[in-house]
Amino acid sequence: MASKKRVMAAAGVAITLGLTTAACGGGSDSDDKGGNSGGAAGYNAAITGVVNPSTTKGGTLNLWSSQDADSWDPVRGYYAFVWNLNRLYTRKLVDYSAAPGKDGLKLTPDLAAAEPEVSADKLTYTFKLRDGIKFDDGSPITSKDIKYGIERVWASDVLSGGPVYLPGILDPDKTYKGPYKDTDPNKLGLKSVTTPDDKTISFKLTKPSGDFLYLLAMPGSGPVPQKRDTGAQYGKKPASSGPYMFKDIQPGKSASWVRNPNWDPATDPIRKALPDAINLTITTNADDLDSRLLAGTADLDVGQVGVQAAARTKLLSDPNLKKNADNPVSGFLRYAGITPVAPLDNIECRKAVIYAADPTALQAAFGGPLAAGDIGTSMLPENIAGSDANYDPFNRKQGKPQVDKAKEALTACGKPNGFDLTITARNNRAQEVKAAEALQASLKAVGINAKIDQYDGAQQASITGSPDNVKKKGYGIIMAAWAADYPTGSGYMQPLSDSRFIPANGNYNLPEIKDPAIDELFDKANVEPDPTKAAEYYKQINTKIMEGAYYLPVVSAKALNYRNPRLTNVYIHDTFGQVDFQALGVNDGK
Amino acid sequence: MAGAIVVIFLIIVAVLAPVLTKWFGHPIDEYHIDQIDPTFSTPIGKFGGISREFLFGVEPTSGRDVFSRILYGAQTSLSVAFLSALLSTFLGTIFGLAAGFLGGWVDAVISRVMDFLLAFPQLLFAIALVSVLPDSFLFFGDRWSRVFVLVGVIGFFGWPYIGRIVRGQTLSLREREFVEASRSMGARSGRILFKELLPNLAAPILVYATLIIPTNILTEAALSFLGVGIPPPNPSWGGMLSDAVTFYSIDPMYMIIPGGMIFITVLAFNLFGDGLRDALDPKAR
Amino acid sequence: MLAYLIRRLFNAVITLLVVTAVTFGIFFLVPKATGSDPALLYIGKTSDAASVEGIRIKMGLNDPIVVQYGKFLKGLVAGRDYANGPDVQHCPAPCLGYSFKTDQEVTPLLMGDLPVTLSLALGAAVLWLIIGISTGVISALRRGTILDRSVMGAALAGVSLPIYFTGLLTSAIFVYWLGWLPQGNYVPFTENPGEWFVQLLLPWITLAFLFAATYARLTRANMLETLGEDYVRTARAKGLRERTVIGKHALRSGLTPIVTIFGLDLGALLGGAVLTETVFNLRGLGYQALTAIRGNDLPIILGVTLIAATFIVLANLVVDLVYGFIDPRVRLA
Repeated sequence: MASKKRVMAAAGVAITLGLTTAACGGGSDSDDKGGNSGGAAGYNAAITGVVNPSTTKGGTLNLWSSQDADSWDPVRGYYAFVWNLNRLYTRKLVDYSAAPGKDGLKLTPDLAAAEPEVSADKLTYTFKLRDGIKFDDGSPITSKDIKYGIERVWASDVLSGGPVYLPGILDPDKTYKGPYKDTDPNKLGLKSVTTPDDKTISFKLTKPSGDFLYLLAMPGSGPVPQKRDTGAQYGKKPASSGPYMFKDIQPGKSASWVRNPNWDPATDPIRKALPDAINLTITTNADDLDSRLLAGTADLDVGQVGVQAAARTKLLSDPNLKKNADNPVSGFLRYAGITPVAPLDNIECRKAVIYAADPTALQAAFGGPLAAGDIGTSMLPENIAGSDANYDPFNRKQGKPQVDKAKEALTACGKPNGFDLTITARNNRAQEVKAAEALQASLKAVGINAKIDQYDGAQQASITGSPDNVKKKGYGIIMAAWAADYPTGSGYMQPLSDSRFIPANGNYNLPEIKDPAIDELFDKANVEPDPTKAAEYYKQINTKIMEGAYYLPVVSAKALNYRNPRLTNVYIHDTFGQVDFQALGVNDGK
Repeated sequence: MAGAIVVIFLIIVAVLAPVLTKWFGHPIDEYHIDQIDPTFSTPIGKFGGISREFLFGVEPTSGRDVFSRILYGAQTSLSVAFLSALLSTFLGTIFGLAAGFLGGWVDAVISRVMDFLLAFPQLLFAIALVSVLPDSFLFFGDRWSRVFVLVGVIGFFGWPYIGRIVRGQTLSLREREFVEASRSMGARSGRILFKELLPNLAAPILVYATLIIPTNILTEAALSFLGVGIPPPNPSWGGMLSDAVTFYSIDPMYMIIPGGMIFITVLAFNLFGDGLRDALDPKAR
Repeated sequence: MLAYLIRRLFNAVITLLVVTAVTFGIFFLVPKATGSDPALLYIGKTSDAASVEGIRIKMGLNDPIVVQYGKFLKGLVAGRDYANGPDVQHCPAPCLGYSFKTDQEVTPLLMGDLPVTLSLALGAAVLWLIIGISTGVISALRRGTILDRSVMGAALAGVSLPIYFTGLLTSAIFVYWLGWLPQGNYVPFTENPGEWFVQLLLPWITLAFLFAATYARLTRANMLETLGEDYVRTARAKGLRERTVIGKHALRSGLTPIVTIFGLDLGALLGGAVLTETVFNLRGLGYQALTAIRGNDLPIILGVTLIAATFIVLANLVVDLVYGFIDPRVRLA
């Protein structure tokens, strides 16, 4: 389901790392939100604290999924659960802390021994590596392996699928062509990254960036040993730098991990590595997965997108099952982008659409308050710094369509009798189509006649992501969902609203917002070292987007997930909006 | 007989859908969120929310009136089935006659094409074709445009069945005495075709045309079930069944009603077709 | 006989070539018609220009369609390489192509799905043959009795029930309400025969019911026709035992048309029972094809179409050969 990565916002990290708290590792430092620190199971207990804290090792963790990974190659995977699972076998210079609540949004030095040294102009970052870090074959992890891994991001012609952010900061003109076309004999030709010795790596940025460290925390920035790189085939047997290594990968069926004997817990401040083995089984039947979860034969659904309707009923009506469920915010916003196709180029017509939409019917289409999430009110998800849960400019929380206001707006737009428009929805997402129907029905009440166009979601980049095509086909409203790739306001909102982020294909700024004020605010926020001040900019951007009536926020997504009671150390990691998989253990030794 | 009565009843119901909906139901795209339990997305009322207000209950998640949606679904289902049967019969008769009557290379080519079409994984191609063909043309709205697309695709893949039968019948008729007689009397091909052959072919063509209607209903429902049917919010029985997949264990009524409708309709047409065959072709009884 | 076989095989190959060419054409034109770039289909979220060009080169999407089709045929017989500079991937013959969307070679992918479809189709076929023919024969022999009427009534109901309804209904009853059977999740025979059987039981019965209905009706009609023929009457008049009359004379010629239908039905099913596999969550060829069509994954569509058409063509051939054995009137020439 999750085609997009998501990562939620850090309250207090931009350039300085929140080193101290999580460096001793694990989920023991969990209680600063005043929540459940006792560790007993309970409904939503894993959101605020750690359920069943334990250090008991052994046993096999049985993970399940109704969807296969997009790729196990760290640089090619993009699904949220794949990034989360990458923590088992891919270490990075810095990674997200292992803690529930907002602490999980902080970055901790992982392969790096400490925070980087940052030059006064904020353009040079230098890391020193830890001692004793090794790959699964016993060879030491050097700064060159990290550089090589990062260089693979440039080879998107061979390694397609993953995010391509780093070149934008380190090599915006893409003068480097990736390691496979590298003329350097050691394949280390990327100029902006230097490795003066095996323990030191240094990055030279072309412009200051508050987001740089988050980019280094992506799996694609992990180390890859050059002699084991098999190009596009690397995902069939990736090397491991973490506590587990792949034992077997059966595409579409399963993946399994065993302990990496060369991983030294003393070098790793984040990972607990409790189970002896981890199995991931992929099933085509989501109902089967649910019944296994409820029966206790499966431990966790790594997709973490929530149980199906049948299991939801069962789970919520049985208190013994319900206490093993969590309903966390996933970090996704579902919304409708309103494009500049006439007459929606007129702000009043856009407002009419937003006022006419029935917030409850739209929420119900996605499954109601538990399965879908709360009614959306603005374009910044609640965990990202700068968001304000009470900011509801269109008064959507009350749950009813506002027909009078919509009609007023229509009159102001010069279309008192309404107009025709087209809504698009992805045909592989049944709920999105249902939501489009709900929107269609509520628009009809004010005289706006909508037609629904369903398209293949896999072709998003070239259909709704192409402004030319949107114009040609006359798509007025595009149903979509978005989660941040890294937890800052710019990580979330920039692709959705910056005028410089409108590519010919793969566009996510659906309304094609071209507001110099918004662009300027992003620029200011990106060089602002103080996260609190940056958050203020993001707040302003969110306000500007909403005032322009560019998007109809639908829901701030939640998922109702079940955890096997035998699992230990269960907590929701706010970065992923999912259980932190690497922290899990089992208490029965099986 | 029973089949014929049900068939006629269904046709009347489909034609009168707008009126019946007005009297006994609600508009097909009207939401009744108050009928839905927000936590479970299922109807609050028992048996899928069946009540005097909602005769067949309400749709999960939206609360739309199932009764109205079933009636409008009947319109879609029956019009697609009839028109595509007509198209198949038309094409099948023309090509079958041509192949059987002209023989030679014409027969070879047509027979080859028929074999080839029958060797195609048809459902898959139907899905592919429906998803590419334009979903609105001329002055038709997107609903009727899609109906015509479905008619075209289902009708096209159906003609070889009729074609084979017509060809076979023509071949055997061609050698019969009365055809020979009229040919020896110097009748032109056109005359033989239309005056001698076609009247004798009418009965079997009618029977098989009737018998592909239920097949077409099932195909249309299958295509809708697989997600390439009538565009929303227009209802179709197959589309309702496909929505029911999510809820069938907790709201079985929403599966049983459209499924039951498909069953009753197809059964009625089968009974009708069987009866027609027995009446027109006593040997097959 | 040999000449006949060779001619038929040659014809079969031609038919398959045409099928692949048409499939190739249609699915080459589909992305064109919807205005999308096939290369973009393969990369998902990123729209990075280098990725798109890389895929174009590797997949040979810059070549004209005829060249692409030629390469496909070459891969089928001799294998082919997918190359983008130093990144070369060899796909051994019979290479059905490389699905970038799933990042897998199509041949092993489909070979992995084939056992599912085979298990489903063959198991159901055994069931429906036994049930369909036996009830058909009994009905014909007990013509006009209550038994005949109720069997034929059930058969008529059977042909009127779509599998996407009965499938849901039976799973609701046997899986959810009674809890007699587990949730559908195919287990290979080689892994656990018992589990394999339990998992397929519901799909087999549901699918077999629909086909058995058709076969019962057909068998009954054919039996009635042959029972009225002169030679059967003669056999009876000669004083042969009823069992001999039925078994040796009536059944034999009465079953000939059944063989034809059976061959075609089985051939079609082996190419993927799209609806059954969808309803019962069986990841067979039909399921795979449906997913591929929705995602415009041409190599997989082409692969399944080719396999399906091969089964149908082969089934036709086998049917004609079997004909020669059971019906001496048919001469193969």
